[in-house]
Parts: sequence; structure tokens; C-alpha cells
Amino acid sequence: MKPSNGSMINQRLAALSLAVVLLLAACGGNNPPATSETTAPAADEFSGLNLVVPARYDPPIEMSSVITVDATVKFLGENDIHNNVWTRAYEQLLGIQVSYDWVVDVSMYDQKLGLSVNSGDIPDMFRVTPSQLLLYQEAGLLANLTAVYEAEASAITRDVLTQDPVALKAATIDGKLWGIPLTDASVANASVLWIRQDWMDELGIAAPTSMDDVLEISRRFTEEDPDGDGVDDTIGLCASKSLYGAIANVQGFFNGYHAYPGIWFERDGQVVYGSVQPEMRTALLALQEMYASGQLDPEFGVKDVNAINETIAQGKCGMEFGVWWNPYHPLNLSQQNDPTAFWSAFAIPSVDSTPAKSQYTTAIGSFLVIRNGYEHPEALIRMVNFWTDNLVGSQDEAVRSTFLGNIEAPDVVLYKYTPVLLWEPNAAIKAGNALREALARHDPSGLDLEAQWRYRIIQAYYEQGILEAWVEVATNGPNGSSAILMQVLEDRGLMNRFYGPPTPTMAGKMPTLQSMEEETIIKVIMGESIDLFDQFASDWYKLGGTDIVDEVNQWAANNP
Amino acid sequence: MKKKIEKQPLLRKTHLPLYLLGAVMALYGLVSALVWSISSSQAMRGLITAGQLRTRLANFESTGGLITGIVFFILFIWCAVNAKGGVRAAFIVGMLASFAPILAGRAETLLFDTLGLRLPAGSVIAGALSTIVFTLPMMIFFIILASSRRVPRGCRWLAFASIFIVLATAFFPIYVTVLAFLLKPGDPAVGRMLEVSSQVIKLRYLLPGLSLLFLAYISMRFLKEQLSAEAQNIPQEGGPK
Repeated sequence: MKPSNGSMINQRLAALSLAVVLLLAACGGNNPPATSETTAPAADEFSGLNLVVPARYDPPIEMSSVITVDATVKFLGENDIHNNVWTRAYEQLLGIQVSYDWVVDVSMYDQKLGLSVNSGDIPDMFRVTPSQLLLYQEAGLLANLTAVYEAEASAITRDVLTQDPVALKAATIDGKLWGIPLTDASVANASVLWIRQDWMDELGIAAPTSMDDVLEISRRFTEEDPDGDGVDDTIGLCASKSLYGAIANVQGFFNGYHAYPGIWFERDGQVVYGSVQPEMRTALLALQEMYASGQLDPEFGVKDVNAINETIAQGKCGMEFGVWWNPYHPLNLSQQNDPTAFWSAFAIPSVDSTPAKSQYTTAIGSFLVIRNGYEHPEALIRMVNFWTDNLVGSQDEAVRSTFLGNIEAPDVVLYKYTPVLLWEPNAAIKAGNALREALARHDPSGLDLEAQWRYRIIQAYYEQGILEAWVEVATNGPNGSSAILMQVLEDRGLMNRFYGPPTPTMAGKMPTLQSMEEETIIKVIMGESIDLFDQFASDWYKLGGTDIVDEVNQWAANNP
Repeated sequence: MKKKIEKQPLLRKTHLPLYLLGAVMALYGLVSALVWSISSSQAMRGLITAGQLRTRLANFESTGGLITGIVFFILFIWCAVNAKGGVRAAFIVGMLASFAPILAGRAETLLFDTLGLRLPAGSVIAGALSTIVFTLPMMIFFIILASSRRVPRGCRWLAFASIFIVLATAFFPIYVTVLAFLLKPGDPAVGRMLEVSSQVIKLRYLLPGLSLLFLAYISMRFLKEQLSAEAQNIPQEGGPK
């Protein structure tokens, strides 16, 4: 997901301001200048761009770092990971000479970082996981970023970092900020209900307003041959054995029964684990009945996501609980066998009069940190500002082409050359809202180029009947899935209360408990007695769950 | 010595069938454009769902298309009966275009359910099929008229221009759609072309319909002039002197 954009600053004023800033910087020696921002300096490669640039170090400072690459990272011409548009921008525009001590594949990163840190060869700036953040902070290896963040963070940086309500909290230990969270769209992993709209139209079914409706739709999709091929081969609800993934999950179904498996939430003043709560029973029994009556795939217990994708491509699946972007994959596959296939998104219906909430977990999985003792910790904030101010808060296509990539070379994804990557958490919601407003007034002029393209694709669906455009209609059109995310953000979502590093018992026992949990859920759905679930819930506490609950509650008390 | 060919009006006794054909074609184009515009506008504002839009348009195209196709067919026959020579042949070929409105709401069913085809960009191909069923006969119709030396000069020029009108309104949207969905997805320039093609597609029946109306008008005027000249015994353009 790409960031959305903001306004630009006049280039002439920028050059003038820059001259003043450079003069002041020269007078002030190597001391970091004030945080006032200016615009594009006359560095050759970037001179034509409307950029918002933080105060530049003069003379330039050095910063060692480490970075990952994978098979998808490609370079044009003379560029490589050590010399590319980002390293040059940091040096020429910000006065930060970034050098990478080592470059490894993503899969090797944690191991390599551990070796580096243990050998005392710590980079000035690097990326860590929540566990590493805690470990290295306790070891005194990290710089406290509280003051530099307060002094240097731009308005857009602050906005991005507060859109996810736990982003900064997750990087805070003992009231101090130790890292910059690498944000992404947390709410994007909230479940929505996807239903084959063309099947509903065929059978004259109205939109579901309750879980009872969902069960009825599932039954009719299974029994009434909605694809009209005369063969009893359709499945009401597709579910994967992965249970909690982004495609064909069952957590969305559980959410309809106010059950929240796999996450922690507050109940009666305590933080509890959702998978062992009594609401799970009702939902499990409903799924068991659906399985028994052929509304779930008979091979549900062994079907992974790839197998589910095939079922969807074959046009046999009528409903799935997934995420907002599922039309891009795998629901788009359903048009392979049926050009008229169209999926509509619905907020999760409720089993009763209390609106259901979609569960989701923060997308913060890593942080950028600064080595304790590095002379310029504020440099990290300036690099972050450079990203957010120009790529989140800007609409400038030239800037985006220069730093993100462009349509002429779609394989060359330029933003993969920098470790400083902060995606706007609410970007999908903002982009969807902007598109819907433009559609309502029939005027795409206020949209950026990418959004204008989406607008015209949606327009082609409505005005020319081009059914292949349904993917954009289902996601960003009126009533599209991105609109449901807004509801999730407002009052139809439940965020995982626990966002810290694994607690000691959790680290040791949670993998086993999770395997037990998944095995139990699959077995009960496939026909074993519900007593098995009761037994699991009881065993869960005995096999370490009680300690984990205590530790999580202790953590929660320290992280309100 | 080059033989002088006598010009003849398109229809002999009455131009009413051609007027009606042009009017019905233009009216169908207009109504079709209005139904699509109003419905798509409602859908884009979220007043009706995508499913409701499709149901409404499918109903319009299957019912309206069937009636229009039958009317086209009858009027083409009536025109053919009133014409002679190459012009009659033109109307007989044009008669095939009557199947296009009938096919418009049924092309997807025919291709994918009845014939069982499985193709990428299915709706584009289905749309292209019904477009070709209209465009090809109409193009041949206008080519015959434009190349027939018995047809009055004004009608020939108009027929000649109509060939390009039919071609442009039919194939520009198909070309843009193929670019947008298959060859250059994401290209901003193609995005702007998509917007233009949304408007051009509305002219698919309207402009050929108007062409037929003008043809009828020019031909009828020619007939009147011819009759008037005959009455005054004045030699006419291309006639015996």
C-alpha cells in the first residue's frame, strides 16, 4: 500500500530558505540546526522536485546501518543497494551519508543482527522486532529517542505514528521512546464478509443483517444451485484450515458471535484470551452444523489457502470471511470461470442486537532504533520526516516516481532501497473515501494519478458495463470494502489489547497452546463433541495459560 | 465514351421507412444512453448497488433490445422492398444489424453459458461481439451506398462519412478497454481515454441513426427536385440531356 499525499511548497521560496539555512548551518558548525523545514536544495538529481527537506547536516554526518534484500529487489543501471536514489537523497538533501555494514536476505536478518550485536559491532541505525527492542533496551544498547522525537518529528510524521493508537506505545518502555515504529495498515487485517453478489441476485436474496441471515444464505447457496450448472457442487462458506488468515478465515464468523479467537481483550477489568471464552462454543456449534450439512467444504480440515484459491477460481464458493483487499486476490480468480462473478463486502453481521466487532491486531512488527552513543539520534527522525512529508503527505507524482517507482519500470520498486518505510495506517480508508466522494460528484480532478486511474476503472464498470472492473468497485466503489474499514475504526472493531513482546511464559508455551487450539477448533467443526472444546479451554489454563494471563495483565497494567 | 448513370433516390415510393429506421435507431441510442447514464450515476453515488444496476440494465437490454431489434428488422425489410439494385442489397445487409440490440443483453449468456467459452476479459469480448454484429453490417451498408454511383451525391458523401462514424463509435471503446485492462493497466493516459470512451459508447446507435435520418432527408429532397425537374422537363444531374 502506498502512502497518500499532501501539499507542496513553492520552489523559489524553498531555494531562498535553503540558502539561509545553509548559511546558518555553516556558522553553527556541526551542531544540529533547528527543526524548521525548508524545501528543495539544488542537488542535481533532485533539483527539479518539489520536496520538503529537513534541515541538512553540513558537513555531512555518517550513519552506519544494515538492510535486507530479497529476490524482488531490482536495480536500474549503475544503482545498487549502496548507491541508489535513497542513499543519494540522504546524503545530498539531508547531509546523512548512510552506509550499510551488511546486506542480507530478509530470512537471515534476525540471526545476522544477533551476531553483530553480540560481537559488539552495532550499527548506528537498525531495525528490531518487539522482543529485540526490549532485549537491547534492557541491555542499554539503544538511544532514548524521546527528546529528539519531540523536537524534530514533523506534523505528518506525528499524524502517521498516531493513526495506529498503539504504534508509539509499542515503542515506549518506562515512559521513554526507544524506537520509531514501522507503521502499516493495522485495521486492514480486520475481517469483512464477502458474498457472491451475482448468486444473491440470482436467488433473490437480500443483504445479510444478522448471523442468522448468513446461515440462511449459506444454506441456499449450498442447496439451490446458484451457479445454475445443474450440479450440486457449491459451498456456502469457504474456510481454510489456517483459521485466522487474511483469506477464508473463521475468525470473522466467530466475531459475529462476539467471540474473538487468538487475541486479547478486556472483560470485567481483566485482559482475557479470546479463544477460551464461552462465546466460542456457540460459534463452533454453528460451524459444526454447517459442516454437517455440507455448507463447508468436506475437506476443510486439510485445505490451505492455495486450495481455497482453487475452489474460488472454480466458482464453487459463495461466501468467505476475509480482508478488505481480497478482490485483488483471490476473489478476482472467480472470474476465470464465470465472467459475471461479483463479490460484495459486508460488515460482519451480529448474532444478536449488539453490533458485531471485527477483531484486528496492530501491524507494528518492527522498529527503527539508534545505537546508544551515536552522536546524531535526531538524524533518524529527519529520515522519517523526509519519507512522511514527501511520500505520505504529498501528491507530487514526480516525487513519487523518483522515490517509490513508476509505471515504466514496474519491477523496480525503489522504496525497497531504504529501511525507513512507514506506511500510513489509514491510507486505504482515506483513499477509498476520496474515491467515493469523487464518484458521487462525478469529478476525479482532486485525486492523484493512481486514484484517478481507479476512478476511471470504476466508471468503466458503471458506464460501460465492463465487468472485469468489479475488483475496484468492490473495494473502493460506493459500499466498497474500504468503507467498512472506516466503521471498524469507529465502533465496529476490536483491537488486540496485547501488543508487546511475548511474555516469558508466552514465548515458551504459546506455540504449543496455539497448535492445540487450532486442532481443537478443526476437530469440533468436523464433528467431534463440543466437550472437546470445553476440555481444551480447561487444559489451556493448566498448561501455562494461567501464567500467561497473569503476565499479560501485568503488562497491561504497565501499558494502559 | 463514359456512360452517364442516372441518379436515383434511395427509396422509390416513400421515404417513411428510412425516416422511421433512423428515428428508431437514434431514439434507441438516446434512450439507451439515458438509462445507462441515470443508472450509473445512481450507482456511483451509492443510491443503488452494483447488483441492482446490473439487473436494471439487463432488464432494459433484454426487453428493449428485443423490441428494438424486431422493429429494426421490419423497417430494414420495408426499406429493402422500397429500394432497388445496390441500395436494396445495402438494406438487406443492414438488416443483419437488427440482431445487435437483441444480442446486447444476451452476449455473455450465449458465449459463456451456451457455448461454454472461458476467456480472459469475458465482458469485453461479449461487448465486442454485439458491437461487431451491429458495426459490420452497418459499415457494409454505408460502403455500398457510398460506392454506388446511382445514389445521389449528397447521400454518398454522408454515407462515406458515416463509415468512419460507425467505426469510431464502435471500435474506439473496445480499443481503449483492451488497452486499459490487458495491455497498459495503470497508464494515466489510457485512464483519460477510458473517460472519453465512456461518452463515445453512448453514441453507438445515436450517430448512425442520425445519419439514416439525414440520408432520408437528402434522398427525399433529391426526389422532389427530380420530380420538379421532370415536371419542368429540365435535365437533372447525371440524367439524360
